[in-house]
Amino acid sequence: MTVEEIIASGKLELYVCGSLPSEEISEIEEAISSYPEVRKEVEEIETALVHLAKIVAPPLPAMIWTSVLNSIRKVRNINEDSTATNWAAITGWAAAILCIGGIFWMLQQNNTLKDDIKITTTENNELKERINRTEGKLSQVNELLAILGSKDFDAILLPGNDAVAPEAFAKVHFNKRDHLAYVDATGLPKAPVGKVYQVWSLKLDPLTPTNVGLLGNVEENGTNIFKFENIPDPEAFGITLEPEGGSDTPTLSQLYTFGTIAP
Amino acid sequence: MEQPNGLILEMQNGNERAFSKIYALYSEAIFGIINSIVLDESVAEEILQDVFVKVWNKSNSYDIKKGRFFTWLLNIARNAAIDSTRSKASKASKKNLSASNFVNILFDNDNLNQKTNAIGIKNFVNKLKPACIKIIDLLYFKGFTQTEASKSLKIPLGTLKTRNRNCIKDLRTIVLG
Repeated sequence: MTVEEIIASGKLELYVCGSLPSEEISEIEEAISSYPEVRKEVEEIETALVHLAKIVAPPLPAMIWTSVLNSIRKVRNINEDSTATNWAAITGWAAAILCIGGIFWMLQQNNTLKDDIKITTTENNELKERINRTEGKLSQVNELLAILGSKDFDAILLPGNDAVAPEAFAKVHFNKRDHLAYVDATGLPKAPVGKVYQVWSLKLDPLTPTNVGLLGNVEENGTNIFKFENIPDPEAFGITLEPEGGSDTPTLSQLYTFGTIAP
Repeated sequence: MEQPNGLILEMQNGNERAFSKIYALYSEAIFGIINSIVLDESVAEEILQDVFVKVWNKSNSYDIKKGRFFTWLLNIARNAAIDSTRSKASKASKKNLSASNFVNILFDNDNLNQKTNAIGIKNFVNKLKPACIKIIDLLYFKGFTQTEASKSLKIPLGTLKTRNRNCIKDLRTIVLG
């Protein structure tokens, strides 16, 4: 084919459009590289077609180029990441995770220690209170011992009544001058439910009992020693078991202990 | 137009600036081709982006000594656009594509109003004969082979070639004066 024939054949137009069969392409490419006229013809065909497509194109948003750039840069970055293991990043992340874990562990430890301190403080307070109570009790007992040991008090033994309670006994520490009495109930059996021991001072001739007071709950008192005041001059002391609340006159059938005062 | 071989070589060596110049030269025409196939501007935008990412990644598969760069680009774009219409609607085929051409989508949509020289475009396109619009649409915009186009238009291959040549001659006269 001559140059003119090639140009007139319509193959150049098909070639630019990409519609030419592959077996005819090499012939056209040879002609393009051999003949400048053919090349010029191809270039003009292309210019016209590019212009046509441009004219019918909708407005092209500028952001598409930005997206293309982002895409091709992202691809490159992913490739770089996958080829080499980033030990610095891995170490960094590991350190950060360890650090956070450590902080949580320490916070937990701190809370546990705070709880421990709270518990210990409570225990300490309890112990202090117990010491206070014990010291208080000790001073009371010491006071009592001092009182009972002094020469102002006479000790009177109240032996058990053989008919009622032969094993029982009581002691009365009596201060004649101040009309005070301390009754030691250690030797009395526990009062049955609904009953209470009542202490009486007695004149013997004629037999006149006067109420001194009730021995309250022995266990609550702790010392088993009961203090009574305003005792008239008695000749004897007796203790009876009475219904709760006490009685106006002693129930002599329930006389547990009885003792006279030495003149 | 003379092919920018220097820019193409630089792009093949990974030069982003050269690539951006090539984008500026061809993106609008390629966008027009894609849009005439997918008939949806936002889809066409997505495909255009994919096409140029592909051009960058596979730039070395183009050989300056063989074929036109524009034709290489055209084939990538038309294949991507046709693939997209096939995946969107399985029935879509080259036959269905011929139902609409690059001119009537131009007038169907309001595209023309967005272009500043709407009248100029109308005048330009109106200078083309309807038979030319049909033949250029199939061979250039839709990527039909010469055999497919001659079957579709029911004209002999020789007539197709001659008519196509004459139509593009007209176009050249309109464009280049």
